[in-house]
Amino acid sequence: MFVSAPGRRLSRERDPAALAALAALAERTRPVSASRTRLLPVVPALADLLPDGALRRGSTLTVGGPGDDGALSMALALVAAASASGSWCALVGHPGLGAVAASDLGVDLGRLALLPRPGPAWAEATAAVLEGVDLVVLCPPFPPRRDMARRLVARARERRAVLVVVPGRAGWPEPADLQLRIDDATWVGTDGGEGHLRRRRMTVTATGRRSAARPTRRALWLPDADGTASTAGHAGTRG
Amino acid sequence: MDRLLVVRCPGLLVEDEGGAGLRTFAEVLAAVEAYCPWVTPVRPGICSLPARGPARYFGGEEALVDLVHEAASGVAPAEVGIADGLFAAVLAARRGVVVPAGRTPAFLAPLPVAILGQPDLAELLDRLGVRTLGEFAALPDADILGRFGADGAHGHRVAGGRSGELADLRQPRISRLLGTDGAPDAPVVAEPGFWGGVSDADARAARCLVATQELLGPDGVVTAHLQGGRSPAERSRLVTWTTGGWPGGGGGARPVPEPGAPWPGRIPPPAPAVVHPDPVRADLADTRGESVRVSARGLLTTTPDRLSVEGGPWEPLSGWAGPWPADERWWSRSRRRAARLQAVTARSAHLLLAERGRWWVEATYD
Repeated sequence: MFVSAPGRRLSRERDPAALAALAALAERTRPVSASRTRLLPVVPALADLLPDGALRRGSTLTVGGPGDDGALSMALALVAAASASGSWCALVGHPGLGAVAASDLGVDLGRLALLPRPGPAWAEATAAVLEGVDLVVLCPPFPPRRDMARRLVARARERRAVLVVVPGRAGWPEPADLQLRIDDATWVGTDGGEGHLRRRRMTVTATGRRSAARPTRRALWLPDADGTASTAGHAGTRG
Repeated sequence: MDRLLVVRCPGLLVEDEGGAGLRTFAEVLAAVEAYCPWVTPVRPGICSLPARGPARYFGGEEALVDLVHEAASGVAPAEVGIADGLFAAVLAARRGVVVPAGRTPAFLAPLPVAILGQPDLAELLDRLGVRTLGEFAALPDADILGRFGADGAHGHRVAGGRSGELADLRQPRISRLLGTDGAPDAPVVAEPGFWGGVSDADARAARCLVATQELLGPDGVVTAHLQGGRSPAERSRLVTWTTGGWPGGGGGARPVPEPGAPWPGRIPPPAPAVVHPDPVRADLADTRGESVRVSARGLLTTTPDRLSVEGGPWEPLSGWAGPWPADERWWSRSRRRAARLQAVTARSAHLLLAERGRWWVEATYD
């Protein structure tokens, strides 16, 4: 399906015109063939929640909960490991990213493009960044129409990117490959006014399609005392 | 224009290979910071700080110069001066003088044009018989841009004391060189240009981001850079994304580690995931419905019990912490008495800012 380096399989005696055509084809499909791997890494604490233990290229995830609490942190935590290992990320539609938190979660700010206020062109802008960025976190500024959402999901699949949607109040009308639901987010550390916010415990339930249809539930610290994601013990007293 | 105090360490102006000079410079910064927390490294061997507030606090500009000179000289030979704007302040430091407020144009006037560091301009002006900054400044604005170009026009403004900085006065890398802890322990690595040896992925990302900028306008695509500061908002800034501006092929806009400044009043980590670009109004009350205020001593007047955001319904607090003083310019007479507080409700956790008796949601721990 993918064209590998053109020189490798062709002997030198081949027709130069055919070679050139193949080279041109390789060039056209390069963005695809450059994405050699099928999976993008995630931090260990999140691997358990994902069917492949990693993010599958071309897939769409939604992150949300009954409140908005923790959804952006979770989305950033999801892209952190890929970002740190050289993948490009974009955050579309969020006007107030806390860059320090993103950096603490492990996101490489040098490979993170921010589209804070894309306005009415948000879907078009998302489609545009999906062309060349491995992971896109989308916070739709307006309720997306179903056809819009469907087109973006298709674009992510086609470009072998990962689309992480934080629906927030705008919602997301299209089923995702994996839904991450955040419940019972609880901050620890204020100690009756004497301490400060230290870490947040949350329960995350992943529900997928097909093989991943059975929900997986994990207790996490996000952020933990180091500002990253880690597994929480069931007793909730660990760490 | 800002009154700036400049510390210039003649022995530390050249970057040495082992980084010993930078390490010494970091010690100079730390010594000066013991008195004034707003010290900015300008380039190796040179740092500046706003003079007005500290001068008031320490009993005048001369007294401040003496104090800083003593602090810096304890580490390395240093020259200290004050003037309006960075350019003049560096020259004032070289001469060890305090140029009185408003007297900067007169201070600059007798200096040779070559001091602007634009040899072509200096040569051109010399042919016209213009040899000093004063003579250059006296040329009418209208003639400047057409004749000397944009750099010349800027130099003209600097020569006349109307602009404080020359473009190449600062070395942006200096903060990074100094490292997070104020001491450079890693050797400085030259970064390749964006278009030199970039990976496929970087080039592909660049292409799609350029296309996105065509759609949204150049400011529609930005990157975040980290910097020093106390509040979450201060600690990062957004920069318009450009291909050329990203050294090191894509990974170039690396967060610049902040210089090892003490930031009293900084909220302990973790940092909030959302920093509201426009602070949101909030109300904070105790069990009886009395508004919570911050006293002159930075204490809460009553115990917080409930929070309302943007005029919304009252929500009981499940926890709160603070206050942290947020007097950003503690020496300033017109200081704003501000404080920060963490407030947790069943739905979310916020960082609140109290200022002039009002509460704002500055950031949210989303």
